[in-house]
Amino acid sequence: MVSSLGMLAIDARDVEKTFRSGWPRRRETHALRGVSLAVERGAIVGLLGPNGAGKTTLLSILATLLTPDRGTVKVLGLDVVREAPALRRRLNMASGRPSFLWSLRVGEIIAFYGRLYGLSGVALRRRVDALIELTELSPYRRVPYSDLSTGLKQRVALAKSLVNDPELLFLDEPTLGLDPDVAVRVREHIARLRREQGITIVLTTHNMREADELCDEIAFIKGGRILARGTSGELKRQIRLGEVVALRLDPARVPWLAEVPGVLRCVEVDGWVECTVDEAEKRLPELLRALHADGVLIRNVQVREPELEEVFVELAK
Amino acid sequence: MNLRNELLAVWAVTLRNALMGARNVFFFFELLFWPIVGVLSIGLMSRFLELTEAQASFVLVGTIALSVVNVCQLEVAYAVLLDVWSKSLKHQFLAPIGIRHLTLGSWVVGMVRSLAVFVLLAALGRWAFGFQVLQPGWVALATFLLGCFLTAWVVGVAVCALITLFGNRAEAFAWASVNLVLVLAGIYYPVSVLPDFIAALARAIPLTYFLDAYRSHYGFPSEFGSPIATGLVLSVIYAALAHWAFLAAIQRARRTGLLLKMSE
Repeated sequence: MVSSLGMLAIDARDVEKTFRSGWPRRRETHALRGVSLAVERGAIVGLLGPNGAGKTTLLSILATLLTPDRGTVKVLGLDVVREAPALRRRLNMASGRPSFLWSLRVGEIIAFYGRLYGLSGVALRRRVDALIELTELSPYRRVPYSDLSTGLKQRVALAKSLVNDPELLFLDEPTLGLDPDVAVRVREHIARLRREQGITIVLTTHNMREADELCDEIAFIKGGRILARGTSGELKRQIRLGEVVALRLDPARVPWLAEVPGVLRCVEVDGWVECTVDEAEKRLPELLRALHADGVLIRNVQVREPELEEVFVELAK
Repeated sequence: MNLRNELLAVWAVTLRNALMGARNVFFFFELLFWPIVGVLSIGLMSRFLELTEAQASFVLVGTIALSVVNVCQLEVAYAVLLDVWSKSLKHQFLAPIGIRHLTLGSWVVGMVRSLAVFVLLAALGRWAFGFQVLQPGWVALATFLLGCFLTAWVVGVAVCALITLFGNRAEAFAWASVNLVLVLAGIYYPVSVLPDFIAALARAIPLTYFLDAYRSHYGFPSEFGSPIATGLVLSVIYAALAHWAFLAAIQRARRTGLLLKMSE
């Protein structure tokens, strides 16, 4: 994720964060244990990991909502602790579980935050209009926040997060609880933000398809540590999950397939036999020869990389 | 520091609080119901006890001060409470907003609302009990109201600091704190009737001096030398201390994660 230091939107090194709670017996939760992360400007980076991994803690530190116990964090070239007020003007965040003042109407919420970022008069009105149109909230402009559905509330959060034209945008589970069609549109919009405005985006998600589709790079966090990071393809190779050779055979079941050298495991899925092999290029001809020699009819063959979800499951073990 | 942006941020909070207040029926209870009940019950009690006009004015000044300070300090406390209730605190503190914007913006709404309460109660006091708020003159009245607003500001900011420090658990303090301050400041009695150690506490409260100065115009000799100057100096010192405490509480909440916890 590092190219040159001058181009970094995020440069976090050895970040540690421990939460203490309870009295008189103090409980300590080590949320981050020496996390380092560098993100290039203009990139979309995904933070993946199981619940309680430390994703939101890291995101909150980067967004100046939490202060780190140890380590140095520079965002857009500014220190997140010492230069937080200047930094806040240049970044923004939308959460998948948004919450705003319940009696305020959609337009008023966006306008409130717009004023905090220095917008007023015609400029404010135009900005609010544009964001409401962009997030397809026009019919709900005068509806109180408390009367909105979950999906609409998330769109308000997205509109609010763009009110200051941020250079860096944090999205915490941006499509959580959205209808599939709305989620697709939100993903398209996130991709467009980067493409057209060059915004750097850091997002957390549990949706592997979303991460695969949107992110240039992915960092996998567990137990407060980054266990793996890279592009989706790099992660799949790093984890050495192998490749999947899917076969449609007649007869459908061939018990000895799993015994063939280089075959890690075989499962039957919807009439296909999916064999995970260490190296498809080398093993496929061997498999086909063995099947042919056994008189098994091969109706179809497909080779694919493992899904990101499989990488997630493997890393989360 | 850009003055335009500073004023815009204060205006944003002012507008937000005003809109929230206008749409919440309970806010009207705060504004009308309790203050009217207070003036009516105290006024009727003074009639039953056959107090002189000056004595009745003495207690009615205290009753009106109680409502004015209460309404104004609650509005200042709403700077944080509204976001705590709606769990939007993290969005607020993610934006470039300072505590000065929050407390000033809320204070402006608080002053407008408590001024409306004051006008209403003054009219009610005059109609029902012949109480003359303008007897001491416009300057004395303006100074008295300023003292009430400053006290409310200090108490409200202190409540914001406590809520940010201890979370929702401190919410009850928002409702109780002002009454403690008002009891100590001598709303229905002169400070001289209080036991010595409580009177010492009373002398540390700015409102004590503003009440004293205003009541001197109703024939009650002042208990303090230069009460207005003392009240103003104390108000400025406490306002600075309360803002420092609020700032420290927010920094602590960012460190402990309470800021996020209060947004979940």
